This record gives sequence, structure tokens and C-alpha cells, in this order.
Amino acid sequence: MLTNNNQIAHRKKILVVFFACVALLVFLFARLVYLMVWRAEYYAAKATELHERERGIKAARGRILDRNGVVLADNRTVCTISVIHNQIQDPEEVIRVLCQELELSEDYVRTRVEKYTSMERIKSNVDKETGDRIREYDLAGVKVDEDYKRYYPYGELGSKVLGFTGGDNQGIIGLEVRYEKYLQGTAGTILTVTDAKGIEVDEEGERRIEPVAGNDLYTSIDYNIQAYATQLALQACAAKEAEGVSIIVMNPQNGEIYAMVNVPEFDLNNPYDLPEGTDENIGSEERQNILNGVWRNGCINDTYEPGSTFKIITAAAGLEEGVVTPQDSFSCPGFIVVDDRRIRCHKVAGHGGETFVQATMNSCNPVFITVGLRLGVDNYYKYFEGFGLKEKTGIDLPGEAGTIMHKKEDMGNVELATVSFGQSFQITPIQLLTTASSIINGGRRITPHFGVKAVDENGEVVEEFSYEVKEGIVSQETSATMREMLEMVVAEGGGINGKVEGFRVGGKTATSQTLPRGSGRYIASFVGFAPADDPQVIAIAIVNNPQGVYYGGQVAAPIVRQLFENILPYLGIMGYNQE
Amino acid sequence: MDIAMAARRKGKRRKKEQAEYFFDYSLLFIVLFLLGFGLIMVYSASYYEAFSDYGDTTYYLTRQLAANILGLVAMIVVANIPYHFWERFAVLGYAVSVVLILLVMTPLGIEAGGARRWIGLPGIPFNLQPAEVAKLCMILFLSSLVCKMGKGVRTMKGFLIMVAVPMPIVVLVKEVTDNLSSAIIILGIALLMVFVASPDYKKFIIMGVIGVAAVAAILVIIINADTVEGFRSARILAWLDPESDALDKGFQPLQALYAIGSGGIWGKGLGRSIQKLNFLPEAQNDMIFSIICEELGLFGAIAIMLMFILLLWRMMIIANNALDLFGALLVVGVMGHIAIQVILNIAVVTSTVPNTGISLPFISYGGSSVMFLLIEIGLVLSVARRIQLKT
Repeated sequence: MLTNNNQIAHRKKILVVFFACVALLVFLFARLVYLMVWRAEYYAAKATELHERERGIKAARGRILDRNGVVLADNRTVCTISVIHNQIQDPEEVIRVLCQELELSEDYVRTRVEKYTSMERIKSNVDKETGDRIREYDLAGVKVDEDYKRYYPYGELGSKVLGFTGGDNQGIIGLEVRYEKYLQGTAGTILTVTDAKGIEVDEEGERRIEPVAGNDLYTSIDYNIQAYATQLALQACAAKEAEGVSIIVMNPQNGEIYAMVNVPEFDLNNPYDLPEGTDENIGSEERQNILNGVWRNGCINDTYEPGSTFKIITAAAGLEEGVVTPQDSFSCPGFIVVDDRRIRCHKVAGHGGETFVQATMNSCNPVFITVGLRLGVDNYYKYFEGFGLKEKTGIDLPGEAGTIMHKKEDMGNVELATVSFGQSFQITPIQLLTTASSIINGGRRITPHFGVKAVDENGEVVEEFSYEVKEGIVSQETSATMREMLEMVVAEGGGINGKVEGFRVGGKTATSQTLPRGSGRYIASFVGFAPADDPQVIAIAIVNNPQGVYYGGQVAAPIVRQLFENILPYLGIMGYNQE
Repeated sequence: MDIAMAARRKGKRRKKEQAEYFFDYSLLFIVLFLLGFGLIMVYSASYYEAFSDYGDTTYYLTRQLAANILGLVAMIVVANIPYHFWERFAVLGYAVSVVLILLVMTPLGIEAGGARRWIGLPGIPFNLQPAEVAKLCMILFLSSLVCKMGKGVRTMKGFLIMVAVPMPIVVLVKEVTDNLSSAIIILGIALLMVFVASPDYKKFIIMGVIGVAAVAAILVIIINADTVEGFRSARILAWLDPESDALDKGFQPLQALYAIGSGGIWGKGLGRSIQKLNFLPEAQNDMIFSIICEELGLFGAIAIMLMFILLLWRMMIIANNALDLFGALLVVGVMGHIAIQVILNIAVVTSTVPNTGISLPFISYGGSSVMFLLIEIGLVLSVARRIQLKT
């Protein structure tokens, strides 16, 4: 039996034990309050992150349209086939079906099916029909997700301008990459709650974040002009057995490009196909080099010696500076001596006595060298820079090449002489066309461009693109004089093949020998515009390495003539007979 | 004579009434509530895993229910046997504990979850965890020892004997069954009983200070060590910063924190835990409290903690009113057992102490555990029945 004292001592101790336990439980309760109230958000977010599997929903990429709403780049529904490792019940059947339907090697499919990941993509950009067929097998663990693939309804049309997209619908070249941020849209996601093994928990449902479709891009391209120019370029290329033909058609008043053709084009729907006749067994690096060549847009990525078309610039600079007037008379003996060099005219016998207008019509080298020398290096360089020739045009396509020009301090009279008639330096075709436009449009240096506006899926205009215009690079008078002189070139001079019945056309031809000299390779080109008194359209045709006759007047001018014969009425430009 | 007879009969009846009156129904109801709640939570926490592993959502539930029923039967039997009946088995129980623990090393031992902690006989559906037997036997043995020592408990020698006697069992449990948590529980029960039995505080305060200092020293050594060797050091580091080792040792504590934290104040609702979907290992077992937090929120958690406090309070009342020291010490032992497990379990689940496997009494899945706990409750009820009503 307990003594009373002892009993009290034990009771006290039992009480101590009890309250110690209660104190510890209260402490733990405080810890729980901290975890479940203060830290609840943190842990809940962490847990949600752990529980939710994310599946992307591709956003529909914005379309690319021409100026009249013709769709040049569209989307087509395609499927992405994936497998979810933990849900597969019959791996052999899955491997068999996927190999058969997707025409993939068994090894490729097997490694992906057997890989322990939450979700493994087998193949994307699968036809909708194939995707539907796979879905009908109803295989556990195989997911068929529909998404969009870029589709170009006109195949090769404007391939180097439009560009194409990669496997994730991202722009690779051309307008597709330049306007990526407008076109791409915002991808959505499907969030599904899964258990630790990745199996979806149905009763938790799924959260969807809807994708936002990309904006449509309206361009200045005119489908009809682009298509017709392409046809002309193909014909010329075939007829002259040329390496390539480029045509740019632009509005010289605002820089909107109606067409840009670089034949040979490539098929935008199969951009990775190598040109016919290429050895299939080449290495991947070489293959990529060939493809880069195929995708190259010569009008902006490559430079060339412009040759006589550049005389437009020399003439404008001379007139603006006042070192020459149209009526000034010259005498061409067939050559000119500059310092210790004797530079020949293309007409060996010489043009004899001629005014500056006639010299322009004759494309007489000694006269333009004389004008260049009258300007001097400093002035010539001033105009070269003033016209914007040393800067890029700022066209909205990636990879524009810069001008390759002598440094001012390295420029002597010989260099000045050669530059005056378009040799010994290099510019891009778009640079030449832009500068010529600026000279004939009253002296406004425009920015060549394709992008007009971005429009969202509801048709609301998201952004109208605006482009820089630099005023006053030449005076109105000089510009008018240049238009008249260039009209004379086409009417009665070397550009006579560019003449279009019933329209006033101005222009200038060029025949440049490519480097190295004496290789027998030429570039024939012609810059033409109409109407000559109020230019609404300007075009350049460049024929690269034509066989047989290689003169610009014979090879390139007829291309522009045919182009103008068709597009001037189409553009609603009135001939002088119709006024 | 008639009058005398009537008076005697009356007296007998009163005695009978008293005995029935003192059956501690509050304690019984608290235990039944915890058991029922435990079954619901075991089912909620385990049905998903049970279905994916066994194709039967009630796999764990039915087993736990069977253990509960067996345990309740045992409890009723024990509650109706006067507790002094067991005093004679104290030494035998101690010996049986040792033998059972050693049996784990024989072919009768059963391995599960990477540890060899159970023994099983062919043809018996339940496996026995000797550590559970050892806990019960330790309570019985120490109670009986203290009573036999009488005034000896006041001496230093008596104190040393009381502390030394449980040590072989503690060491055996730790070393043979590699079960640190059960060893800690047995040691804790023993120390609590010694604390209550011996009249002074000084020794215990000194012991407490030394214990805290030792733990602090071990922690400092582990934190400053360049390389961590061994299972438990890694667990301690994972405890200090679970997110640094989220894929290995920190995984279970971190998953438990995710469950607790994502429950918030009101919880996700019964059955709506996501962490139990294979994310949280041992969801129906040691970690069941975190599922309670996730599904029922802070309020569910506090309700359960209050139920345990009520349970401890009832046992404190019984211990304080026990007829004799033997009864009081039995109740203190059981009270200590339950209190230590509840506190350590919640502390582990909330990452307050390093991760070690301790189940939540009456609620966690586990047959041995719940059966022996119910036998202990039977003992407590038996002590309660002997309390005399004082007027």
C-alpha cells in the first residue's frame, strides 16, 4: 500500500509527465500552424508542380497573305504521336503499329517506347489521316495530339522571301523568321493531375490554358505579279541557260515590294529536299551547305558589281553637285587615261562627240569617268554615303548583305573612275533598286519592305508597320532630269528593248563581268520604271551568267518589258494613249 | 434476520454497482473513436496504392479491421482480469521478449521493407513484431520491479538498477532488429516510469541536460563532417535541409511537407489527397498524419491531437487514482508509450526531428502495433475498475 506522502509525490510526477506531453504537443501544433498557414502556399505550389503533367497545345501560327488577301502561307492540321511509358500495356503491339504506320525503323521506335520518361515524342508533323488511323487502334499509352503545320499553297512561289518553319513551327528563314514574334502566337497547355507513376487521375480533371493564335501578316507582295515575274524568270533562265534570274518589282514611292523572285526557287513544303542530281550520300555538313545555297535570297544576301546601272547614281551626283548638265558635250575616243591607266569604253571605236544625255543613252564609260573625276573623291564619297549606299537598306528580311566599298582614304582617281561606271565595289540588287528609286521619286530615300500590317484572328489590326523615309537626298530638279534622261535611254538608247508600247518607261541597262575578269562570266541586268514622269513601279531583272548573248540590253531589258506590258495595266497605270 | 439479509444484499448490490460504474467509458470511447477514425484514414490513404499493387482497394483496410477486432477482444479479456494476475509473469515476460527478439535472427524471422523486424509462424496470417511485445513486457516488468524494491527506489543503487534493467532489451531491439525508433520508445517508457517511481528531480534534470548536450554534440559533428557515412547521418542532414536531398533521404520528409502544406487550414476534403497517389511512401503507415493534414487540414490535425491529449488526460486520472503503485505504474507506462509515439510521429512527419519510422497509435496501419496497444488499454481499463469511489 502506498503511503500518503509517496502517493502525492507520484501524483505530482504523473502530472509533470502529462503537462510535459501537452507542452510538446502544443509546440508541434505551433509547428503545424506554421507549415499549414504560413508555408501553405509555398508547399501547395510545390505539390501542384509535382502532381501536374504539362502538355503543350501549339498555337496556330499566323498566316502570311499578299496585299489582296491571297494566302501565301497557311496552316494544316497534323498530328504529333507520343507514348506515355507508364500507360503502355502492350509494348510489342505499340512498337509494331507505330513502325508500320509511321514508317520508322523498329530500333528507333523501340528505344523510345522502352525509355522510362513521362512522355516521349515519337514523331511530329504526321498527316491527319495517319494520326486518325493510329487513334483507331486505341492503344493504351499512345497519344495522338493534333496541331498545326505550315503549309504553302503555292509551293515554290516566293520561297526565298516567305521562308519556311521548322518542326516546332518556328521560322527558319525569310519573313517567317523576321516576323516570328507576330506569327508565332502563344502556346497553350493542358495540365493534368497524375499520380507518382504518371498515370492521369481522371476525377481531378484537367486545366487548360488556351493557346492564342498568332497574328496574320499582310505583305506588300502581289500574288499575280509575283507569279508572273516567276514565270518570266523561269523562261529567261531556261532560254539563256543562266545560273539564276532575279527580279524585284517595287513601288518606288514607298518601298513596298510587289514581287521578289530568285529563280531557281525551292519547294517550301519540302525545304530540305536537295536539288535534283545531288549525290544523296553526302555528309550532313555538306548537305547543310548545299541547302543554305538553295535557300539563299540573292537579291539581298549577295552583292555584285552593279556595272552601268550604277551610272544612274554617278549622273545624279554630278547633276546635283552641278559639275555636269544634260547639255554638256563630251568627246569619247574609245578610252580615257586616268593617271597612268588607260580605261576603255565598251565601244572600242569611241562614241565621238556627244552630250551628257547621249552619253547616258550610250552608257559611255569615259564620260561618266569624267563626271566622276570632276566630282572628285571627297564629293563622290559624300554622295555615295548621302544616297545611303554605305548602309543597309533596312529591308525586313534577315541576312541583308552590306556594301563592299573602297575606304575613302584608299580611293585614288583610278578607283574613283571605276566606281563611276559601277565597277570595283559591290552592292546588293535591293540596294541598287532602292537607291535608283530614291533618285527618281524626287529624292526620298525609302525603305524597301514586305510587311504591311499584323492582324489578329478577329481581323483587328494589331500593328501597321511604318518605315523610315529620308527626304532630300537629291533635289526635285535633279530627280526630274534623271527621269527624263533615263526615259531617253529606253526610248532611243541602250535600253530600247525595255520599251513598252503606249507607256513611258525609263531605265538603264548593265552588263557586268564577274570577278575574276576574263572568266567569261557576266551578269546582265536592267533597271526599269514606269511611268517615266511619275514612277509608280520600278523593277530590276538580273540574269546571272547567261550563255550566248550576255548584254543587259538584250538579255535583261526584254524581261522587264514583258513584265511591264502585263503589270502596268494590271496595276491600273495609264499609258499616255489612254490619258 | 430478514433485515440483516436485506442489508447484506443491499451492500453486495452496491459493490456490484460501484464496479460497473468505474468502468472508464470515456477512455473506451476515445480509443474507439481513434480506431474508427484510423480505419477511415487507412482506407483513404491506402486504397489507391492497394488497388495498383493488389487489385483490391480494401486490402489494407480489411487487414487493419481484423487486427482491430482481435485487439478489441484481447482488450476486453485483459480489462476483465485483475491486473495483479499479470505480476507473476513479469520476469517471464522479460525473458520471452529477449527470446522473441533473438528469434528474428532464426529462419522464423521475416524481412520486409529492407529490415528484418518480424517473426512469423507458418499458417498464422499475422506476423509478430517482437519490439511490440518488448514494450508491453517492459511496462509490466518495471512496474513489478519498482513495487518489489519498495523503499529501495529512493537509493542511488535502486535508481541505477531501474535504469540498467531495460538496457539489454533496448540494445537488443536496436542491434538485432535494427530498429532505432522502437529502442528509443522502450528507453523512453522506461525512463518515464523511473522518473515517476523515484521521488527526486535532480537526477532527471542532470540526465536531461546531458542528453540535450549529447544530441547537440552529435548534430554539430555530423554537420561539420566532410563526408557523411551511414544511413542515419544522411537522414539527419536530410532533416536539416530536406530540399537539398529531395530525391533520396530528403524525399519522404519533403513529400510529407508537401502533403501537410498543401492541406492548408481546411484541407482538400476527405479522400482527396493527391500525395497518397504513390508520391508519399508509407502514406497509410508512418506518414498517415500528413495525409490527415492534407485531407482534413489544420482543423483535422488539431482534432486528432486533442483526442490524444484527452486520452492522456484520462490515463493521468486513472494513474493518479489507482489502487496501488503497481497499477499506477502500469498506467504510466502505457501513457508514456502512447505519448512518446504520438509526439515523435508528429515531430517526424512535420520534419521537426530527423526521419525515423514511428507509427501513430491506433491510426497508422500495422497489426502488431494496434493489437498490443489495445492490450495495454485493456490493462489500463483493468486498473480503472479497481478505483474505489470515495465519498
